[in-house]
Amino acid sequence: MTNFYIRWGGVCIVAIVLIVLTYNHYRDNLASLAPQQVKQEAPAGEVRVLGMVQGGTLETRAAGEATFSLLGESVSLPVHYEGPPPDNLRELKILVLIGTWTADTQVFEARDIGIVPNYGFIAGAYLLGLLPLALLLFAMTRRVSLLYEEIKASKLYEEE
Amino acid sequence: MISFNVIRWIVWKDFVTELRSRETISSMVFFALIVILIFSFSFSMDQQAAREVIAGIMWVAFAFTGIIGLGKSFSTELQNDCLEALQMVPEAKGAIYLGKVAANFAFMFVVEILLFPMFVILFNLEVVEEISLLLLVFFLATVGLSAIGTLFSALTVQIRAREVMLPILLLPLVVPVMIAAVEATKGALNGDPPALYEQWLELLAIYDVVFTVVSFWMFEFVMDS
Amino acid sequence: MTIHRVIRKVQRFEGWFGGGAALCLIAGLYVGLIGSPPDYYQGEVVRIMYIHVPLAHTSLLGYTVLAVGSLWYLWKRDPIVDNMCQAVAALSAVFTALALGTGMIWGKPTWDTWWTWDARLTSFTVLLLILIGYLMLRTFVDDPEKEARYGAILAIVGFVDLPIIHFSVEWWRTLHQPQSISMRGVSISSGLLVPLLLMSVGMSLLFSYMLMVRTQLLYLDRLLHAKKGRLLSQFHLSKSDS
Repeated sequence: MTNFYIRWGGVCIVAIVLIVLTYNHYRDNLASLAPQQVKQEAPAGEVRVLGMVQGGTLETRAAGEATFSLLGESVSLPVHYEGPPPDNLRELKILVLIGTWTADTQVFEARDIGIVPNYGFIAGAYLLGLLPLALLLFAMTRRVSLLYEEIKASKLYEEE
Repeated sequence: MISFNVIRWIVWKDFVTELRSRETISSMVFFALIVILIFSFSFSMDQQAAREVIAGIMWVAFAFTGIIGLGKSFSTELQNDCLEALQMVPEAKGAIYLGKVAANFAFMFVVEILLFPMFVILFNLEVVEEISLLLLVFFLATVGLSAIGTLFSALTVQIRAREVMLPILLLPLVVPVMIAAVEATKGALNGDPPALYEQWLELLAIYDVVFTVVSFWMFEFVMDS
Repeated sequence: MTIHRVIRKVQRFEGWFGGGAALCLIAGLYVGLIGSPPDYYQGEVVRIMYIHVPLAHTSLLGYTVLAVGSLWYLWKRDPIVDNMCQAVAALSAVFTALALGTGMIWGKPTWDTWWTWDARLTSFTVLLLILIGYLMLRTFVDDPEKEARYGAILAIVGFVDLPIIHFSVEWWRTLHQPQSISMRGVSISSGLLVPLLLMSVGMSLLFSYMLMVRTQLLYLDRLLHAKKGRLLSQFHLSKSDS
């Protein structure tokens, strides 16, 4: 039985390592600020802002350049986008902007548009797929070792 | 070799029992009537809406009544150990299967023929030209249902909770029959050109052939004792 | 009994199957979750495919094993083959249910619906119903020999039925919704193929390993049962002797 628990301990450690690696890999994509936070805190450097393109404010200038307001819960943020031609820049669309906040002009200079993270579905699918299998396998192997011991312990053992 | 004598005697036996007791067909017809009544309460329909859903209602009613008939087919053999007697028939067991399929098919088909006018009257259907095509659909689908149903009737008769297990095992397996029968009936009732739904008739024919052969073969193992 | 020798030989490599499954799955998870880029059309959600498709493939593989084992049982009446059939049915049911569950989770972000009467989803649901029916049938029979025989019959009939069910459901779908949302829109580029292949191989190995463990479990259960019965009858014999 000790071997059995050591083996499953190893499986647990590998699983934890994988989870941590994956979480670290996606942590950058997960964190995003709200427009009101950007206005209040005025963060230096590049940030990700999550919000909705306010209706009636989108003006496209060239293929890769546009201005609009990004609406948060209450505050809206003027945005100047300049980067690769966006596929999913529409009014009333929820998206993530990557760029810097210039406090002098009070304009958010976006250089790229990220996808809204829906990692919940992915995490849910992987947990649903792997966790029951792992639990089932654990229960079965445990039962097999117990059965072996029980059969050995019961008297009158004859090899078949 | 299959003995036609055995087939004939089994069919004759089932018919005579049915003529004397009138249990199976009458219970099937009354159950189907109740199903129709419930359906007409659950969907309040005009003629247009009826055309859309009537084929589905019809086949749900036929399948459920068919299951009643199939369940009775072998459970009546439990009385007086008739099942053991059947198992002791010295001929090939396939003959018993074919006889039972023929009897079950006859009961289900008679019930369907009796019920169809009720549907026509109660749901204001207009059927004039398509009646022969509809009969072909009924024939093919009923052969499929009874071919596989007889096997599972024999299989479930000796286990616990057989009234529950027969529909649980049978209904997933007859999904193709139900789909094909409903689509073909719908096509015939709407007066579509037969070319539109003849693929369903082909599917039913293939299903009938495949499952008559497979069930015939498997029946040997069911009756194996 | 040649099958016993084969089983014993394969059983000796049980650890290899388990280890191989673990290696493939770890590599597949790493490549699928971290190493591969998101898909152009589906974005990150495509990563669900790496778990969903292998689960679905493996459950079909399991059903094939069940049908072959059932045929073998009806031919040779080998109890160990029946243990294998019972084990593979339960595992296939679990894998099918998980494939359906992950498919539903995939459907929500891509099609914005948890459930659609897509041909594959529908035929997988029918497959799951047949497998649950098989397991239920086995619990309702008292005699072990009869239980095995009836189960084998149901498994074979269901296996023959499976392609017919799939075709009929597919025709029915194309009839009712010609522009139906289908998974065929997903084109598989080479970047997706590596994690998919790794996960598929890993899942198949995991399934084989779990199958071995479960067959062993059922066999040992039967052995213990028989042994207890033997002990009991010896006890009674010694009582009646004295």
